[in-house]
Amino acid sequence: MKEKYRLKDWQELPIGGVVADGGNSADYETGTWRTSRPIWHGENCINCLTCWIFCPEDAFILKDGVTKSGKSRKEIDHINYYHCKGCGLCARECPVNKKGKRVAIEFVKEEH
Amino acid sequence: MSKIVAITGAGAMSECMRQINPDVVPAFPITPSTQVIEDFSQFVADGRVDTEMITVESEHSAMSACIGAAAAGGRVMTATSSAGMALMWEMLYIAASMRQPIVMTLINRALSAPINIHADHGDSMGARDAGWIQLYAENNQEAYDNLIMAPRIAEAMNVRLPVMVCMDGFIISHCVQTMQLEDDDRVKAFIGEFASTYPVLDTDHPATWGALDLQDYYMEHKRALHMAMKNSKTVIQNVSAEFADVFGRKYDLFESYRLDDADRVIVAINSVAGEIKEVIDERRDAGDRVGLLKIRVFRPFPYAEIAAALEGVKIVTVLDRSESMGGYGPLFCEIRAALFDAPERPLVYSRTFGLGGRELFMADIHDIFEENKRYLETGTVEKTADYLKVRGG
Repeated sequence: MKEKYRLKDWQELPIGGVVADGGNSADYETGTWRTSRPIWHGENCINCLTCWIFCPEDAFILKDGVTKSGKSRKEIDHINYYHCKGCGLCARECPVNKKGKRVAIEFVKEEH
Repeated sequence: MSKIVAITGAGAMSECMRQINPDVVPAFPITPSTQVIEDFSQFVADGRVDTEMITVESEHSAMSACIGAAAAGGRVMTATSSAGMALMWEMLYIAASMRQPIVMTLINRALSAPINIHADHGDSMGARDAGWIQLYAENNQEAYDNLIMAPRIAEAMNVRLPVMVCMDGFIISHCVQTMQLEDDDRVKAFIGEFASTYPVLDTDHPATWGALDLQDYYMEHKRALHMAMKNSKTVIQNVSAEFADVFGRKYDLFESYRLDDADRVIVAINSVAGEIKEVIDERRDAGDRVGLLKIRVFRPFPYAEIAAALEGVKIVTVLDRSESMGGYGPLFCEIRAALFDAPERPLVYSRTFGLGGRELFMADIHDIFEENKRYLETGTVEKTADYLKVRGG
């Protein structure tokens, strides 16, 4: 995760709101928008990657893993809270959550 | 060769644009600024300038094209009046906020309705908060000189703001006066080469213009614009001093006319200052201690400098040639604010005149000085704000 995004003073800004360095939207901390946060419970996760597909901010970070039968696959590693804006799509679409017996992605109020 | 010419105010502006030879001129002609673009388009057609002229379908498009061309990296000029500038409104703010050093001749004309083509300052005064530097001129020479200085002011790296060069419609734009037309080469040398900032056409250094600002940055960008406006005050003074060295005519943020030892002063903008000076000369000959403070720079407004210039004055009559419906006139508000902290605050009152081109004659100006003489003697102003020469009072 990146360091806490520091908002610049007016003296530091490029003239006229110009964006002088292309491709810098990843620097933007959409995490400040969050009023609720998803919490990922790895012990209940089946690594279907539905959350990763749905996440509009690409906040689910993957790692390399293997299935029980030894096949290589991608698995959820963690949630990047710098970019997670707390929309809750992941918790809503999670098939484990939908079954109702266990919770793989909990969605709780952000504590400020 | 520098020469004395007889020319209209609008003609002087197009001659100046020819001398500046801007990269792009997007324009949509409107009375009374039409001649500026008409003459300039002839220069383009005759190959006397290298300018790319864009004949757009509206003023909104004209200013949009100005912004695009300036962001692309060109020196850009245009001209308009009244309803034309009203249609540019949205883009005026964008030009300033995107810090594009566009130079625009604004020939002041009343806003509709009823439709009227004659001079008042409703158009430029309405745009005073847009972030444009505003220079005003009493006559053709001043308007021409302001336009020569405008690119230097706009393009200064600690300013980078659009400049509006204003003059009164018809009274100045269409009246022939003699003035000094400077040598083309000297004008070009004074203005120098255009330097762009983050030009869009520089594909080796891609930049995005006009991106979104949310609650987190909008205010900082506006704060920076305000600072640029404050910086421009010194730049205007420096450029004016350099202009005086090169061309011999002196300008400052405002003109003080016989202000030393004056008790009673009129503050005014643009062409009416000519008549006021004549009246002051007559009254001074008769021993009356009267003077004029003529605004040249309305944005940025020189509060402290004006307060210092009016020190010792006992009564100030502010002449507003525009109206803020339900409020005081814009010039009056600024002058009162400038004088509020004065150690000996003079009486200050407002008179609105000349809307839609109604003339103010020398006899009327004598009446103003008689009126403020009476107020000074009694120590009270009868009405803080009132009209001059409106039927029914």
